[in-house]
Amino acid sequence: MRIFYWLLVLYLALNLVLVLFRDKKPWNQAAAALVLILFLLRLFLIQ
Amino acid sequence: MKKRVWTQRFFSPLCFLFLALIISFLAGQQFSRQRQPEPIYPSAGLTAQKKLSDYFPPISGTAGDTEVYIFEGQEAGGHVLIVGGTHPNEPAGFITAVVLTENISLKRGKVVIIPRANASAFTHSDPQEGSPQRFGLATPSGPRFFRLGSRLTNPVDQWPDPAIYINPSGQKLSGSEVRNLNRCYPGRPKGLLTERVAYGIMEVIRQEKIDLGIDVHESAPEYPVINAIVFHENSSELAALVSMTMEAYGFNLRLEASPPQLRGLSHREWGDAAGIMAVLLETANASHGRLKGRPSPALVVEGKDKFYTQAARLGRLFVAYPESGLPLKERVARHLAAISSLFQGVEEIYPEKGLRVEGIPEAREVLEKGLGAFLHPPKEASQKP
Repeated sequence: MRIFYWLLVLYLALNLVLVLFRDKKPWNQAAAALVLILFLLRLFLIQ
Repeated sequence: MKKRVWTQRFFSPLCFLFLALIISFLAGQQFSRQRQPEPIYPSAGLTAQKKLSDYFPPISGTAGDTEVYIFEGQEAGGHVLIVGGTHPNEPAGFITAVVLTENISLKRGKVVIIPRANASAFTHSDPQEGSPQRFGLATPSGPRFFRLGSRLTNPVDQWPDPAIYINPSGQKLSGSEVRNLNRCYPGRPKGLLTERVAYGIMEVIRQEKIDLGIDVHESAPEYPVINAIVFHENSSELAALVSMTMEAYGFNLRLEASPPQLRGLSHREWGDAAGIMAVLLETANASHGRLKGRPSPALVVEGKDKFYTQAARLGRLFVAYPESGLPLKERVARHLAAISSLFQGVEEIYPEKGLRVEGIPEAREVLEKGLGAFLHPPKEASQKP
């Protein structure tokens, strides 16, 4: 179960990284980075 | 030219990515630190140290497993269970259990101490309260830091909450109470984490053949059950005797009978389900009351709050709240005096169940010297704030 959860978070985190690189507006990039922080914490299962 | 375009295109995303990694690392460190329990240094009188999972193996490896300290005298006598940290946002309960663990030894009888009854609730704090994560107590060798946790089990360990919680005794409560250890007794062996912890504590009571259970708490100064001993009807004589003894220590202790309709609480279910004498002790803690000002480690330790002083002046509290506050040392001194009185009371009423406990700090000494004088000195890095 935990591995499915981890894969899901990994997929979403990678999508956020893609958004970060695709978007050209700095504010959008900052927003993606902020959300990415939360996903990174979950990715490493920090609770 | 091509290199310049690349730099322009990727410079800011890389900066943001780097920043996100740094913040995640720092935040992760802080979160992880909340999961590391502070060391407790038991006194030389300790006879055995166990885990809750030794009594109830299914709890092993979960966030609910916690330490159980056993002090046993050579002479047979009564068996007493002292539970602190049922609600980790009530620091006097936890610190009283720590002070006892670090100071007592027994000549007669047995004392079992669980300082962090709801270990999971120590790993987070109440959301939207701005509670400090830790508070420090000065000892002669430097400050010792302790976690200030939440009333409820960490949702990371038990989630989601139901809309309505029907506890093991069949009482309907609001959903979040499913994570409140003191609503989950007598527990369920195959239930949710908090219910399994409650069941584990019931197993400690059964396997250690406990005669008297003491659950050590605090409540908000505006709550009516305060500076009180809540007792199961099988402990009414003992509670009355303790209340009188406490007068001699200079503390007024209110007597509150455990309502038979209020189910799931230690003072009710320990008595009903395990048949032991069961009491719960309460002192006044401003740091988890609703009227408090800015929460801070100083508020936890010194208990000084101008809003509570004002509320007391207006007659809105159930306890006198001086301008000098109600410091943690006074609240712990009160609990220690009540626990000493309970030991004396048991010996007086049931001589065959008497205990001879040495090393309990006297209330007067705690008030004079402070709590740090009765805590083991901190050891290196583990005590960093």
